[in-house]
Amino acid sequence: MILRLLAGSARGRLLLAIGLFLALALPWMIYPPIAMDIACWALFAVSVDLLLGFTGLLSFGHAAFWGSSAYVSGLLAVHVGLPFPVAVLGGALFAAVIAVPIGYLAVRLSGIYFAMVTLAFAQMIYFIANQWRDVTGGENGLQGIPREMFGVDLSDSFVFYYVGLPIVLLGLLLAWRIVRSPFGRVLVSIRDNPSRARALGYPVDRYRLLSFVLSAFLAGLAGGLFAISHGFASLQEVYWTTSGNAVMMVVLGGIGTLWGGVIGAALVVQLNDYLSTSEFDGIGIVTGSIFIVIVLVFRKGIWGTARDLLAPRLKRKRPGGAKSPGDDPAPAPAPDVNAPA
Amino acid sequence: MKRIGQAAAVAVTGAVLAACGGGPGGGGGKISDDKVVLAVLNDQSAIYADLSGKASIESVKMAVADYKAKYGDKAAAKEIEVVTADHQNKPDVANSKAQELYDRQRADIILDVPNSAAALAVANVAKSKKKVFMNIGAATTALEGASCNKYTFHYGYNTYMLAQGTGDAVTKDGGKNWYLVYPDYAFGQDMQKSFTSAITKAGGKIVKADPTPFPNDNFSTFLLKAPGLSPKPQVLGAMQAGGDLVNLVKQYNEYKLKDKGIDLAVGLMFITDIHSLGSDALAGTKFSEAWFWNANPENRAWADKFQAKTNKRPSFAHAANYSAATQYLEALQRGGTDNADEIVKNLEGQKVNDVFAKNGTIRAQDHLLLHDAYLAEVKPASEVKEPWDYEKILKTIPADQAFQPANPACKF
Repeated sequence: MILRLLAGSARGRLLLAIGLFLALALPWMIYPPIAMDIACWALFAVSVDLLLGFTGLLSFGHAAFWGSSAYVSGLLAVHVGLPFPVAVLGGALFAAVIAVPIGYLAVRLSGIYFAMVTLAFAQMIYFIANQWRDVTGGENGLQGIPREMFGVDLSDSFVFYYVGLPIVLLGLLLAWRIVRSPFGRVLVSIRDNPSRARALGYPVDRYRLLSFVLSAFLAGLAGGLFAISHGFASLQEVYWTTSGNAVMMVVLGGIGTLWGGVIGAALVVQLNDYLSTSEFDGIGIVTGSIFIVIVLVFRKGIWGTARDLLAPRLKRKRPGGAKSPGDDPAPAPAPDVNAPA
Repeated sequence: MKRIGQAAAVAVTGAVLAACGGGPGGGGGKISDDKVVLAVLNDQSAIYADLSGKASIESVKMAVADYKAKYGDKAAAKEIEVVTADHQNKPDVANSKAQELYDRQRADIILDVPNSAAALAVANVAKSKKKVFMNIGAATTALEGASCNKYTFHYGYNTYMLAQGTGDAVTKDGGKNWYLVYPDYAFGQDMQKSFTSAITKAGGKIVKADPTPFPNDNFSTFLLKAPGLSPKPQVLGAMQAGGDLVNLVKQYNEYKLKDKGIDLAVGLMFITDIHSLGSDALAGTKFSEAWFWNANPENRAWADKFQAKTNKRPSFAHAANYSAATQYLEALQRGGTDNADEIVKNLEGQKVNDVFAKNGTIRAQDHLLLHDAYLAEVKPASEVKEPWDYEKILKTIPADQAFQPANPACKF
């Protein structure tokens, strides 16, 4: 965070301050367990955005990493009694480890083929979780995950939010560092033109694989924290709709913006929460309609569109429209998911 | 400044959707907040919406109205509110909604909660908040087994009841040789075990038990080999549920296995399944039922009242929600307080005899409601005289045989 404060532009600093303020104030504004859900989903959406927006790979199987980390974190907390941040880290590392073979096979493909292969692997994980009931509890889920650290009971959701939030913020910081690093620049170049990146001598597949593994690690952090926060891990966590939800959040918020994932998560989680007590039974219709409207009207998502509105003012202020190194990269064009491999 | 405003507006967009709630703290009276709040948490938009869903809210409201009518001025609970939330069949939503219902809506009890993962998650919330939870919609025996707790009650049915009724009764009626097909995941495996023990105890035999993929569209491999098994099975026991069951039954009919002397018995079926499939497709299928609306005049009278409000006939889950809410209010009336510990004390060992539960007892050891269950058969369309009249009750399974003995793994 400090890095950003030092290196960022005035606008960046302001946004960061607003973002941090909102993150800290969230449990006062909304119900704390929902605030925690938003934080977890935000990190999850950012992990998907790292792949989709900055590497040009649409993963439709990120639930595999979110979910397997949820189970592993839960198991570590239940059976080993690790304090929850260690358990979450363990889960995230596990997610990163299984991402290596999956990514190794998947990154050779792109576009729809990549999406299908990741989906297939995620379904495999789903079936393992469903069948291996001695460990995962089958469809009953892994229940009774303790929410404590060094014997301190954290069952108060309000307290837990502030204990869990640093994990999410560190995850977001890591994502931000990745996309701002030279490595991140290479990823963007691979996204925009893989052939050219290859011609320039970059081992494209290896970069993609590393990006995939890092993304899985972040998704794992989010998933592990989610499981600890709820006190259980269920099959829902590894189901394909969970992957779809994360992709939807990114698209709503804005692909290739990082912030967009956070906004998308806040929107979708709260919409779901609000609709579930509204006695209106067409939840899918509402979220689906919003999704369609955003995709049709705001092609770059909420954050992408907002930033476009801000951009002309920025240019006027800085002659030549030069961007400082810490600025967000130019709004990314949506990657062509239909491009053949 | 306008730029800041825009940025801030966008950043806040996500944060303003939910309304901020939170009421005043609890009062000092015997009824917390001077109000009793009954919460119905179930699936109102996904696969269990028909089985229970919004109509269960009406059931609970009917229970409240009947309670008020019965006690009038003597009612311990003067003000009763019914609130609800839709868990969309997602355990994590159920978990946070349950917390919210107890904390913010000041719910004194949560009812229903189909889907076993969601039910177990809510049971944990009830335990930590020390509030009453009466589960109706979930079938898992873990609720009264290893995962049981002092504040959780299981009310209506479970996998043991489903297996016991069908397996035992059909075998004793002459269906000695069984071919079991079960979906290969926890529910299916449980059902397979329960059926096997019920059938062998009744003197029957499992010719073969085959796991099938889950979910699955094509059961022809299993159905075609059934007549060739030795000895030839008399009953095909299908443990599939929902969409899988629909496919299996359609294929069972296409292969005309009934004409080849193989009856169909189903592990888990609800009246809503028959309604959506059409009773001809399932005619003759035997299954366990917790309650049927047209079984006797008393049920029917209640079903008429229910229909006046919801425009459909009740499933057993609707009746069980009514009964559970009634028992909760009766326990509240006896103790004169909505204090959860008092309510639990008043519910334990309670005898229940109402429109839903016949010869019922809430077992003190594991908080499972024992009551008479039924073996039912689906009528052919020619015998169905009115909409929803799909079932013929073949026999009553007495309460002490319908459910399992208390599991020693359950300790409060």
